Amino acid sequence: MTGVSKTSPLSRAAKWFDPRARTISTIGFILNRITALGLSFYLFLHLIMLGQLAQGPQAYDGFLATVHSPIFVFGEVLVIAAGFIHGLNGIRIALNSFGVGARYQKATFLVLLSIAVICSLIFAVRIFTV
Amino acid sequence: MNDSRYGPKTGESTWLWFTKIVTGLLVIVILIIHFIVNHFTAQNGLLTYADVVKYYQNPIVPIMEIAFLVFVVSHALIGLRGIVLDLKPTRAVIGAVNWLFSAVGVVAIVYGIWLVLTIVSRGASS
Repeated sequence: MTGVSKTSPLSRAAKWFDPRARTISTIGFILNRITALGLSFYLFLHLIMLGQLAQGPQAYDGFLATVHSPIFVFGEVLVIAAGFIHGLNGIRIALNSFGVGARYQKATFLVLLSIAVICSLIFAVRIFTV
Repeated sequence: MNDSRYGPKTGESTWLWFTKIVTGLLVIVILIIHFIVNHFTAQNGLLTYADVVKYYQNPIVPIMEIAFLVFVVSHALIGLRGIVLDLKPTRAVIGAVNWLFSAVGVVAIVYGIWLVLTIVSRGASS
């Protein structure tokens, strides 16, 4: 991490997404960050779009009809997957921060990531078939 | 080497870091309560405006949603500020970000509470 202060913010930002020479923990860090950005974007979009409720039944029911199209449903699957990854990994980070299970953080990360992937796949299958 | 993955980041006060962890865990707790309440009070889902208005007549729902709003907005903005801190901003930039994010947080929470109360009043008047 030498010379960090001389690089531009853009190249430092690009480093988050550089998969070379990454350890498992760093992959966890990057995943948490990408999902954080995605979930933040969704949160504010969600708050704005729920404003349709204040416009009355026609506006809201029309909005719901739009978001039932496959592209929005796919976006919903991404939100759920990001939520599982960020939430489960977040529990690990909270515990590790207080010294709980820090020795086993790599194993815990892989187990939690697997759970997140499985739960997301189950959700994806159900949302597209039910 | 300062490992930024654990503990407060450079420029992040201990209490902000702690708030980020606590609100993160509270978001998970409320999400679980949300799914349980939703399952018992709106068994056919919240698929129309009328369903949503009816759902908000159960007092636990607006309380839960406002708590969720406060925790998730706080967690998101503290987290986004942490990402900005990792880009080694100048004091002026982080100062502006502090003001901007505080304003966004206040606006989002006030707007959200207004929206929740609006939906509650729609149910009470019908």
